Amino acid sequence: MIQEVPSFNRVALWTLIKREMIRSLKIINQVIWPPVISTLLYVFVFGLALGSRIQTVQGVTYAQFLIPGLIMLQTIDSSYGECSSSVFQGRFMNSIQEMLIAPMSAFEIVFGYVLGSLARAILIAALITVLGAVLVHTWPQNWLLYFGVLCMVSILFSSLGLIFGLMAEKFDHLAVLTTFVITPLTFVGGVFTSAAMLPQVLQRLELVNPIFYTIDAFRRSYTGESFLPPWLSLSVIALLMVVALGIALRMMAIGYKLRT
Amino acid sequence: MSAPAIEIDHLVKRYGDFTAVEDVSLRVAQGEFFGFLGPNGAGKTTTINAIVGLAQPNSGAIRVFGYDNHVEWREARRLIGLAPQEYNFDRYLSIRDVLIFQAGYFGLRGPKVKERADMLLERFGLASKAKDEYTRLSGGMKRRLTLARALIHEPKLVILDEPTAGVDVELRLELWQLLRDLNGDGLTIFLTTHYLEEAEELCKTIAIIREGRIVTQQSTESLIADGARLQDVFLELTRA
Repeated sequence: MIQEVPSFNRVALWTLIKREMIRSLKIINQVIWPPVISTLLYVFVFGLALGSRIQTVQGVTYAQFLIPGLIMLQTIDSSYGECSSSVFQGRFMNSIQEMLIAPMSAFEIVFGYVLGSLARAILIAALITVLGAVLVHTWPQNWLLYFGVLCMVSILFSSLGLIFGLMAEKFDHLAVLTTFVITPLTFVGGVFTSAAMLPQVLQRLELVNPIFYTIDAFRRSYTGESFLPPWLSLSVIALLMVVALGIALRMMAIGYKLRT
Repeated sequence: MSAPAIEIDHLVKRYGDFTAVEDVSLRVAQGEFFGFLGPNGAGKTTTINAIVGLAQPNSGAIRVFGYDNHVEWREARRLIGLAPQEYNFDRYLSIRDVLIFQAGYFGLRGPKVKERADMLLERFGLASKAKDEYTRLSGGMKRRLTLARALIHEPKLVILDEPTAGVDVELRLELWQLLRDLNGDGLTIFLTTHYLEEAEELCKTIAIIREGRIVTQQSTESLIADGARLQDVFLELTRA
């Protein structure tokens, strides 16, 4: 069975992606259904009940306005959660050693985790997109923008998850970024409100919230309107994605907390 | 002349101020059954980790079948199978998939991998548990699975870190026979163990490490010449 060792181990990359997908499906009640159910609840409570008192936002009903924001919320949460917990668990159980002793490069390991996480994010986004279409009759108008933003945001937060999964000393540490940074910034980043509704001071503050750019650009794929020009949002997201991915690759390459 | 299975030159590994391995040099010939002995904390696991790439040496060189494990790391790792002391299986996979996915990480897939996984499960008495998760296996079965996983990609060298720790006598004898058979098939085996009778029984060559330094490396036969017991030789060489 001994074969030539390729300079790019694509079989290993695919094996890790598949492993991450199996992991997601094994814990489906923990990682796939909760975001779908909570989206359903947001739509009923905020969109259909309270939202019926709001006329239109960006030319659509409030419930329709909510859907793209909720997809981003769940994409961010799922991507970070998948990578951070999978990497940390691998370190904790030492099962990550199976990859570390194999002919796998840092690139293959990082992309295996990130693309596995992206697959989960796409599945969740697809389920919520269907919910949006069925419940409030909204769907993306610009699929290229929809997938472009979805993929970049998922890769950005998967990379952050990987970084924190490598740095954490206990499970509790993984929650630090979500509790104190991601969740607050996501909620004030335009999931529930349009920046146009905010006073000017808060509008300026939104510009230092990176999550605002992700939601604003993604919502444009549904409504065709955005607060910021799309090139600006896409550039900010791409820049953050490249930086986070670069840090994750570097940490894996030096074997941060993996190789002594 | 064929390259040694393992060739370590002046390996040094420090953790902060602590020197775990100090100027270790070793040669393990192809096809050899090599015993690497030493008390707890002597540097055995650090040396193994350096060979498989889990530890990054401060200085020195390691070649596996002639491949530098730092420069030609893909080729070197492809030839090594590691059976660590601790169970570190993927908890989300079935036992059969543990083997198939490990082969995948080594760049192998397809029907031949599945056939080999089934063959190994059969040979190691795990076929009936193929669809179970590893948590449902007994301690002895987990040991055998560790060994099967180390062999799935058909390595030329297997490194066994305490392969019989915590198993009963019957299983130990069974594992000994398996290891003898594998070595008989041409596999190079690098074994660490605290059971000196195990090393005496199986290994053709033994190296003893103490406080990070090799204190002897010679054939088992010459080490226990004149009726000496390996235990006495070991204690004499490893006492501070």
